[in-house]
Amino acid sequence: MIERIKEISGQNASICMQCGTCSASCTGRDLMDYPPRQVMRMIQLGNQNVLNLKSIWICSTCFICTARCPRGIDIARLMEALRVINLRKGREVLIAEKIPLEILTRVPQMALTSGFRKLSA
Amino acid sequence: MKIPYFPGCTLHSKARGLDETTRGSLAALGVELVELPEWTCCGTVFPLAQDNYIGMVAAARILANAAKMEGGKLATVCSFCYHVLKRVNYAIKNNSEARKKLNDYLEENYGGEIETIHPLEICKEIIGLDAIREKLKRKLKGLKVACYYGCMLVRPAAEMNFDHPENPTIMEELISALGAEVVEYPGKTTCCGSYQVLNDMSLVKQKVKEILYSASARGAEAIITSCPLCQFNLDWMQEKLAEENNGFSKVPVLYFTQLLGLTLGLPEESLRLGEHYVDPKPLLLGA
Repeated sequence: MIERIKEISGQNASICMQCGTCSASCTGRDLMDYPPRQVMRMIQLGNQNVLNLKSIWICSTCFICTARCPRGIDIARLMEALRVINLRKGREVLIAEKIPLEILTRVPQMALTSGFRKLSA
Repeated sequence: MKIPYFPGCTLHSKARGLDETTRGSLAALGVELVELPEWTCCGTVFPLAQDNYIGMVAAARILANAAKMEGGKLATVCSFCYHVLKRVNYAIKNNSEARKKLNDYLEENYGGEIETIHPLEICKEIIGLDAIREKLKRKLKGLKVACYYGCMLVRPAAEMNFDHPENPTIMEELISALGAEVVEYPGKTTCCGSYQVLNDMSLVKQKVKEILYSASARGAEAIITSCPLCQFNLDWMQEKLAEENNGFSKVPVLYFTQLLGLTLGLPEESLRLGEHYVDPKPLLLGA
């Protein structure tokens, strides 16, 4: 699994030194079950449960972790790899029918395209 | 001067105000944006999985079509479109595998020659702020404005190459030239929660609250942005925040081009100020 994550993301999680800058900066950290530093640690240790975290679906790909990582790891690409492995097996979180109508009728079109691309299989 | 222009899907629907004030303002400043004769959605997000080339094809086709027009540039104002087009162009230019695969899909021979350019850059670098000052019909007279960039315009820095990734000032420079007073606040490049509004509204509500309080506490009377999704999240979510807290004071959220258009004297109806949730008209037209 680690090789698969590396292949899809092009990033080497093993150089992460666990400083926590990503967690301190993360947009979604308050709603994540495991903040980005711990996600990185799970990848380093080869813990398969990393694929089942809520965190990977809360990430809004804002690139603040990527911008600040002192080891130069593109953490957003690692989070994407974890999503992509799920999505390619049909595991998704954003279901069109479940989006509240008050949001669906109001959001700009770009929100629908980006949301479905990131969170739907 | 003419520059090829890609509006993007949202600018032909929910964000017409951004489209019309961008075209109108730049036209008043002597730059005609020429819409591409054919275009599709850019894809909205840059694919971060290395093997996902199909996610780049739409943007690559837009860029290849722009290369057939005169000018060597492609202007686009939506932060998502600008992000995707610029990164796909960077990939085509710097990654030989991406260039080969995308050209195979397109049946083209495009090498990344186009320069993607944002209207903020057009204002500062092509027109010039002094030239803009001379063309103003009115000034904003000390209106306190907080500039909000969000995430897509500025990051990642190496590929976007758009001002500083965490402390950009290009929007502040423009808005100062229009006579506004810039409000410095720490939230200008934090993320509003973006498309998570569809998946977890509580995230967006929390981020919007942090950004708004950060700007309001420093006296902001209006917030400006170039992203239709930031605009929507920051604007609509204030209705939710006001429902929860009676003392919540709303702040209008505008496109920077609406303030530019206002000062350049564009007709009031073309500013489309009536299409926002928090009404900016008392602030802007009463003043």
